[in-house]
Amino acid sequence: MWNNTFYQNFKMKEQLSINEITKKDYGEKIAKRDKEAIYYVEKAEKLGLKSTKRFTEYHPNPSKSMLTGVTFAHRDLESVVQSMADNQPWAVVSGLNPSGPLHFGHKQVFEEVLWMQKQGAEVFIPVTNDESYVVGKVKSLSESRKIAYEKVIPSIIAMGFAPEKTHIFVDSDYPDLYNLAIDISKHLTLNKVYKVFGFGQDEEGENPGTIFYRGGVQLAQILLPQYEEFGGKKPSIIPVGIDQYPYILLARDAALRRDFIPPAATFIRFEGGLDGKGKMSASRPDSAIFLTDNQEGIKRKIRSAYTGGSPSGAFQKEHGGVPEICPIYQLRAYHFPNNSELKDQCSTGKILCGECKKQATEEVSVYVSEHQAKLPEARAKMDEFILKKPIKSILTD
Amino acid sequence: MSVERLLATNGLIKEAPTAEAILSRADYVDPSPIKLFYGETYDDKGHTIDSLKYYLFVSNLAESLKKVGRLTDPTILIADTAACRNVGPENQNYYMVLGEERSNFVKKVNEIYKTGLHVVKMSEYINSQDFVNEREKIMAQCRTNSSLMEAVKRTVPESKVEIEDKKGFMYSFDEITTIIDLDVKVGPPREDLYDNVARSIAEKAGKKQVMSLFLTPSFPIGMNWSYFFANEGIEDHGITAYKAGSKRLQGNRVIIEKSNSDYVRELINKSFISPNRALPNPVLDIGIICEMAKNRLEGNENPITLADDFYEGRISEKKLKEKVGADVEQYILSKF
Repeated sequence: MWNNTFYQNFKMKEQLSINEITKKDYGEKIAKRDKEAIYYVEKAEKLGLKSTKRFTEYHPNPSKSMLTGVTFAHRDLESVVQSMADNQPWAVVSGLNPSGPLHFGHKQVFEEVLWMQKQGAEVFIPVTNDESYVVGKVKSLSESRKIAYEKVIPSIIAMGFAPEKTHIFVDSDYPDLYNLAIDISKHLTLNKVYKVFGFGQDEEGENPGTIFYRGGVQLAQILLPQYEEFGGKKPSIIPVGIDQYPYILLARDAALRRDFIPPAATFIRFEGGLDGKGKMSASRPDSAIFLTDNQEGIKRKIRSAYTGGSPSGAFQKEHGGVPEICPIYQLRAYHFPNNSELKDQCSTGKILCGECKKQATEEVSVYVSEHQAKLPEARAKMDEFILKKPIKSILTD
Repeated sequence: MSVERLLATNGLIKEAPTAEAILSRADYVDPSPIKLFYGETYDDKGHTIDSLKYYLFVSNLAESLKKVGRLTDPTILIADTAACRNVGPENQNYYMVLGEERSNFVKKVNEIYKTGLHVVKMSEYINSQDFVNEREKIMAQCRTNSSLMEAVKRTVPESKVEIEDKKGFMYSFDEITTIIDLDVKVGPPREDLYDNVARSIAEKAGKKQVMSLFLTPSFPIGMNWSYFFANEGIEDHGITAYKAGSKRLQGNRVIIEKSNSDYVRELINKSFISPNRALPNPVLDIGIICEMAKNRLEGNENPITLADDFYEGRISEKKLKEKVGADVEQYILSKF
């Protein structure tokens, strides 16, 4: 009798403890959701950016990224829309660091770029192996160059870009870019570059290469479409993360000084890392699903991913999950259009994390294997996409 | 058509008093007729179909009130003096002639559509002793009341406050004096600023206050989605209904006695249309004007359901454009 009572009390205490943990976890996730919900809104407001809602209302066929709110704000989209609607020349520039293969975060951005190409944009994709090196993401220029050609560029091509309207270049293999960088850097001051990027805070942290990259090369990439060799002055747009707003400001300033049209920008939410810590990143391999991952790797990463669910299935059935902070939800809702009901299913407890992860694994695996099947053809076509056009206009009178 | 049904016409009415309020006002002013009013200036680019919307509506409202035994005075004011204030001295005579032409145009509308509108030009009363006295009283009242004077200033775009200040805000005071004794003032939504001042003054004097009835804003035709996206705020105010050259978009307006119907049809076909009721729909707007014109010509009172037919999917975008392209020729352009 005594033992039985003791056991019951022990079980009750244990139960209470699990309930407390569950409630605490749920409370923390709700708080995280609320904090993240206002993060982008407040940030956009503070920077004076406009919501893309108006664009989605007016454009006859807005992008998935805009419709799902992944692209959430813009700066000066008005400067591009007339060319977009009237089939006049305009360009989009979207680069990336080749420090690792493409992951689903990149896929999200390049799908937006692809949509822009379908709206008539000429696409420029700088693969910035020089940046990867100067900021220390790779050990050598050759390492990032190798990743660029072997893993990054074929994956981009396999997403369906049209060769006649796509110009991909690896910075170190397109040295004309550095002439442009010199041309543009003439119109900037170190002081301005320091102010925009906050250099000088840590004297040991920056090298001259970084400064030249930010104040010259990066801007040359952004303004490249407006040089004579590419048809001259035209509206352009840069899809970026909100942390990259300083580049846009500096590029707009440089464009005005060079008598170009200041580039517009759209701002994209980061794809949440599977580890629940910030964005998907090649530097934390388990935070991202790479388009080169094998089936076993995909399964493992999704199985161990952080979620918006609860430690207790019973609790989650009753209270629902928190999809807004769940990287699995983000992955499925954005990348797989058949999941429009998922948010409701998750937040009402109709689907639990185990089942959701299982479905995610299937969806991601199918996509990745289909993507990988396209890579040999993409590699064979690579030459059609690589930009080789020399830039002479700044070297002659 | 009952006043209530007329005011429930989707796509035509932006904001209106209730039918009951209008009927009560008619009873209040009885045995005088209820003053229904629409006033406009003009430019030298011609008479827009958007002005016709207001003429037809004022006439329809008067008809509906008459049907239930109320006396009405439906008036269209051609503000020639006001139009002249905005042009240089060298153009004054030309603009007075244009005012006469606009006035004759409304009279022609009366003949074609049997609208029974009373047409008045501002120059016919603006120098009369009664008007000048009334304006003086209003000016004195505003100048001794800072909140009223602030409201008068707000009737002027910020960029023009200094210029108008030097002119003593005469344009605004003429407008306020003109509308202060009205019962129902029909106009585009942007005229709310004048109406509010007139109401405040009337309230302080213990008089009846003018009721504002706003029709939907007017939009250019032949523009694609990018124009509307890039012009933030256009949904609320549109372009100036009665000036064909508003925003220099005369090439994108239906200008009666000038526009070629093939050209208009082409513009209509190119026009942006959205299934979202909250967004501008220039084609639907013209379609509703055509329906009003058709009803007048055929002498019927069918409720206009074009907006509901479109937004509820009973008529497709293609059909709407075809219908409006044909109707604008049949019921409007060919009649002038």
